[in-house]
Amino acid sequence: MQGKGLLVGLAVTLKHFFGKKETVQYPEEKIPMTEAFRGGKLLLDEKKCISCKLCAMACPNTALDLTVEIDENKKRHMKNYIHKAGRCLYCNFCVEACPVDALSWDKNYENSCYYRENLTYDAVENNRKDEKNG
Amino acid sequence: MIQTESYKLSMGPVHPSTHGVLQVWLTLDGERILRADPCMGYLHRGIEKLLEKRTYFQCLPYTDRLDYVSAMNNNLGYCSAVEKLAQIEVPKRAQYIRVIMAELNRIASHMIFIGSLAVDLGATTGMIYPFRDRERILDIFNELCGARMTYSYIRIGGVKSDLAVKVISMIDDFLAKLTDMIDEYNDLLTGNEIFQYRLKNTSILTAKQAMELGITGPMLRASGVSYDLRKDNTYCSYEDFDFSIPLGEKGDNWDRYIVRLKEMSESAKIIKQALAGLPTGEFMAKVPKVLKPPKGEVYDVTEGPRGEVGYHIVSDGSAKPYRVHIRRPSFINLQALDIMCRGYLVGDVVAAMSTIDPIMGEVDC
Repeated sequence: MQGKGLLVGLAVTLKHFFGKKETVQYPEEKIPMTEAFRGGKLLLDEKKCISCKLCAMACPNTALDLTVEIDENKKRHMKNYIHKAGRCLYCNFCVEACPVDALSWDKNYENSCYYRENLTYDAVENNRKDEKNG
Repeated sequence: MIQTESYKLSMGPVHPSTHGVLQVWLTLDGERILRADPCMGYLHRGIEKLLEKRTYFQCLPYTDRLDYVSAMNNNLGYCSAVEKLAQIEVPKRAQYIRVIMAELNRIASHMIFIGSLAVDLGATTGMIYPFRDRERILDIFNELCGARMTYSYIRIGGVKSDLAVKVISMIDDFLAKLTDMIDEYNDLLTGNEIFQYRLKNTSILTAKQAMELGITGPMLRASGVSYDLRKDNTYCSYEDFDFSIPLGEKGDNWDRYIVRLKEMSESAKIIKQALAGLPTGEFMAKVPKVLKPPKGEVYDVTEGPRGEVGYHIVSDGSAKPYRVHIRRPSFINLQALDIMCRGYLVGDVVAAMSTIDPIMGEVDC
C-alpha cells in the first residue's frame, strides 16, 4: 500500500513522544564526567613534582611552557607551569609521561572564554590562589 | 528551437549538506547537471607536514583529526604502519581490543552517515535517532579513554589501557540494543516511500567506473565489487572472525545506503566474537621510550568506514618520520561526485554527496 511506510515512521515518533526524555536541561542539570575524562585545566601537585620536564617533552604541540628554579639547597622547584590551553590537543600524553603522577585534569568542561589570552594560565599560580582562598 | 544556455552555480562552502566546508561548482542546464566540480582546501591544516616535526609517538593525536568521526580507525592505520616499520609484535589481546574499538567506531560512523543522509533529504527526525544511538558508543569511548571524538586510544605497540569490566558490560548492553535501533531506522527511513524515490536509480556508479577511479570501501561494494581489506588483506587478527561482506547490485544511492546499514550488523557480529574470545595477557608490547625505526619505508593499509586508509611512512633512522603520506579514502571517493551527478537534478547532488559520505577533515588533511 502506498503511504504505509510513512505511517510506520509516524508510529515510531509517536511512541517516543510519550517515552522517556533523552535530553537533560543543561545549565541546571549536568552529566558527571567519567574517571578517564581529559579536559579542563591541568592540576599540578607541587609536593609530588620533581621538575623533570618530561611532560613538556611529551607534548606534541608545545602547549606547556615551564620554568624551573634551583634553590639554595640545590633542589629543583617549578616556578611557572604555563599551560597554553589554546594549543592543547588534550591527548593526555603529559599526564601519562609524568613518572610521579603529579598531573591531573580538573574535568571542568566549561572552559570557553571571550579572549584568547584567557586560555593561557599558570598551574603554579592557580595553586597559590587556592591556598589563599583555603 | 528553444536556445538554452548553461550557467554556473556555487554550492557551499557554507552549505548544510556539504558535511563541512566543501564548495561544489555546478554547471547547469536548467535543472540538469552538466558538470560538478568539487573545490576543496577550506579545512587544510597541513597535517602531513606537521608530522615531520614530531616524534612517532607525538604524531598520533594528529591522526585523530583526519577523519574525526572514526578516529579509532585512523589511529589503527597509523599504529599498524609504524609497527610494521619498526617490527613490533602486538600482543593478541591488544589486537582483539583494537578490533572491538575499530568496529564500534565503524558503527558510530555509519550512524552519522544515516543521520546526515536523512537530514540532507529533508527528514530531520531521521537524523535524531541515529545520533542518539551514536551517543551510546561515544559514552563507551568516553569511559574507556576520556574523550568523545579524539581518542588517541590505539597506541604504537598496543592500546592505552586494558578493557575494564564496566566498559565490557557497556558494550554488551549496546550490542543487545543494536538490533532494535536498526529496526527503528528501517521503520523510519528504509520503508519510507519518499526516501526510496529519492535514492533508488539515482547517481549510479558502475563497478567499472568505481574501479577506474580507485574508489574503496562501502561505495565500491555498493557497486558490486567484493573488496574488503579485512578479508582480502587481513590485519589485526581479522582472520579469526566470521563475517560476511554486504554487496550492492546497481551502485545507486539506495545500494550505498543499504550496504552501510548491513555493515553495521556485520560489525556487531565481529565485536560479539571478539568479546567472547578475548585472550588474556598483555595489552601493550615492549616499545622503547625513544622509537627509532630502521631506515626504509612502509605502506600499510587498513579498512576504515569510508574505505582504504593507507599510511606511507618514510624513515631516515631518526626519532621523527622523514615523510608521512596519508591515503585518505574520502579524498579519493569525492572524485566520483562529477560522474555521479551528471545528468541528474540539483536535488540529487545533495543525495549523491551524502552517500559518498566525505569528511572534510580527511579530504583536506
